[in-house]
Amino acid sequence: MSEPMIKTNQLTKHYGEIKAVDQLDLTVNEGEVVGFLGPNGSGKTTTLLMLMGLSLPTSGTASVGGYSVIEQSKNVRQIAAMLPEGAGYYDDLTARQNLRYIGELNEIPRDELETRIDELFDMVSLKKWADTKVGKFSRGMKQRLGIMEVLVKKPKIAFFDEPTLGLDPKATKELRDLLIRLNKDYNLTIMMSSHLLYEIQQTCQRVLIIRKGQLVVSDSIANLSNHFDGKDRTSIEFELTKVSSDLIQKLKDIDGVTSVDKESKNKLFVQTNIDKSQEISEAITKSGSTILLMKPKEHSLEEIFLNYYEDD
Amino acid sequence: MTSFLVVCKKELYDHLGSKRFLLLFALILGLSFFSAYSAADSVRNQGTAVFLDIFTSSSSFVYIMFMFGPLIGLALGFDAINRERNYGSLSVLLSQPMFRDSIINGKFLAGVSALSLVAVSTVGMMTGIAIPLLGFGPTPDQIVRIVFFTLITILYLSVWLAIGILFSTITKKITTSMIASVSTWFVSAMLMTTIAMILANLIIPTYSTYGGYGMSRTGDDITVYLGDQVLTGDEANDFMDRLEQQNDLQKTLCMISPSLLYQDSALSILSNNGWYSTGVVYYDFAPPEYDMFVNWPHMTTLAAVLIACFALSYIIFLRQEIRVGN
Repeated sequence: MSEPMIKTNQLTKHYGEIKAVDQLDLTVNEGEVVGFLGPNGSGKTTTLLMLMGLSLPTSGTASVGGYSVIEQSKNVRQIAAMLPEGAGYYDDLTARQNLRYIGELNEIPRDELETRIDELFDMVSLKKWADTKVGKFSRGMKQRLGIMEVLVKKPKIAFFDEPTLGLDPKATKELRDLLIRLNKDYNLTIMMSSHLLYEIQQTCQRVLIIRKGQLVVSDSIANLSNHFDGKDRTSIEFELTKVSSDLIQKLKDIDGVTSVDKESKNKLFVQTNIDKSQEISEAITKSGSTILLMKPKEHSLEEIFLNYYEDD
Repeated sequence: MTSFLVVCKKELYDHLGSKRFLLLFALILGLSFFSAYSAADSVRNQGTAVFLDIFTSSSSFVYIMFMFGPLIGLALGFDAINRERNYGSLSVLLSQPMFRDSIINGKFLAGVSALSLVAVSTVGMMTGIAIPLLGFGPTPDQIVRIVFFTLITILYLSVWLAIGILFSTITKKITTSMIASVSTWFVSAMLMTTIAMILANLIIPTYSTYGGYGMSRTGDDITVYLGDQVLTGDEANDFMDRLEQQNDLQKTLCMISPSLLYQDSALSILSNNGWYSTGVVYYDFAPPEYDMFVNWPHMTTLAAVLIACFALSYIIFLRQEIRVGN
């Protein structure tokens, strides 16, 4: 198995008395799209800054693409790119000049750089604004420029810190589609933090949830959803040809069924504390209804996320 | 091209296109232009005209640089770092594969290059205007002095650039660094002589501040008149010693001010002050190397201020934490 793209070991960062990141252990593999979640002040941005080699850890180690973020931070920044929260651009330069500057700092040969810049303008649909000063750009256009600045160096991994902040729904969807496309087309490893959990759910294959600087969850959203109810509970979603009050009562009477909720005309959510799917199916069939769909209930990321923060 | 030079190129491009730089540059060029005309006129009317007088006569170029040079130096430096921080471009810049010092080094070199352009072009313009007006040019010896004066001017402007960068590194808000920069310039250029006089009199009081003093000498005997009081003998000698110490202290305190250091050096290089060698006093221009030697403490102090300010900015910048929104 290849080496993980990101690996941290007991990564810790203190700002004076405050523990921003506390003995964080996480792993991200090549080609993954990972959501990095946590409320304000949970240590997400500090972690991303440390992974880019921009902030020195107080203790612990981390590597990105096999390079140590402490001793080889310049190498890390050659293969990794970051779109920080509230990233700024040079308003008095055009979008193309901004990109040239970043390209030159990455020592990309001039001809190659120009070709790459043109490709990127096409990719983010910003070509007609290429020679306009960035000061005239909208928030969404600036965010797209930020994405271009990330991609111009052809990174192996990209960190996005709140990339959809301040974007309207249309721009948010465009950004989401772009990230998914980049991951598929270029096998770009992506680690993104966002408060918009729906976006994470739509974009990411796995989520990392951080709480008070410590990693509390690292799993796919599907697995998290399956395990959301805990060891003692499971939720099943049924779609039936008909749902009667008699059927609901019969299901409630089954030993082990803790609740039955009619979600819509033909839809039921049944919660049990042990696996009772066979008895439930039989009861439905006996009532004269037909099961069109039976699947474990998918919980939203918001539900999962809030579950970890209910005590805070 | 290394990242340091990429940053330098971009910053220089920014400076040369920025309104504030162009405005101050135009102001200095304009004042220098009129100063050259006025000085050339004045020099022509003098019996013993010396080309270098065009830089030192009334409303002189030295005074223009003394007063307005710091403003252009500060204008290029006062928001060099905190502007990047406030606009969120610092973290983008630092996310590129380069070391952090490339940013501050690149910015400093770009500033020095722009200021060199200001100094060389204004001195060149003054010289170019004065030659046809006077009908003669500088002698080779005077050319050496003009070059030397230009280098001191670049050093002086660079000191103010370094002071501006220092304020931009230690303060988060651009307005704070601007106020701090302008205040420093005001104290250095306008108030330092008065402050030095007050401090020197506090440290070594001579009791002559308000009433002044008079002095007469008969042979080795000195008599000092302080209002109604008359000092003679040891008392008078003691008073004169204290007065000399006070003057020395005042001069030393004035050396804190880059503006006064520059003014002293520039006037000393460009003026005919007479000189002394092997027991003979010459009332003529000293050899350039003599003036360099005499001005060496001034120049090393200016260089020391420059190095101290830049080194401090460098260390602080390298140690600063990058936080959200930087």
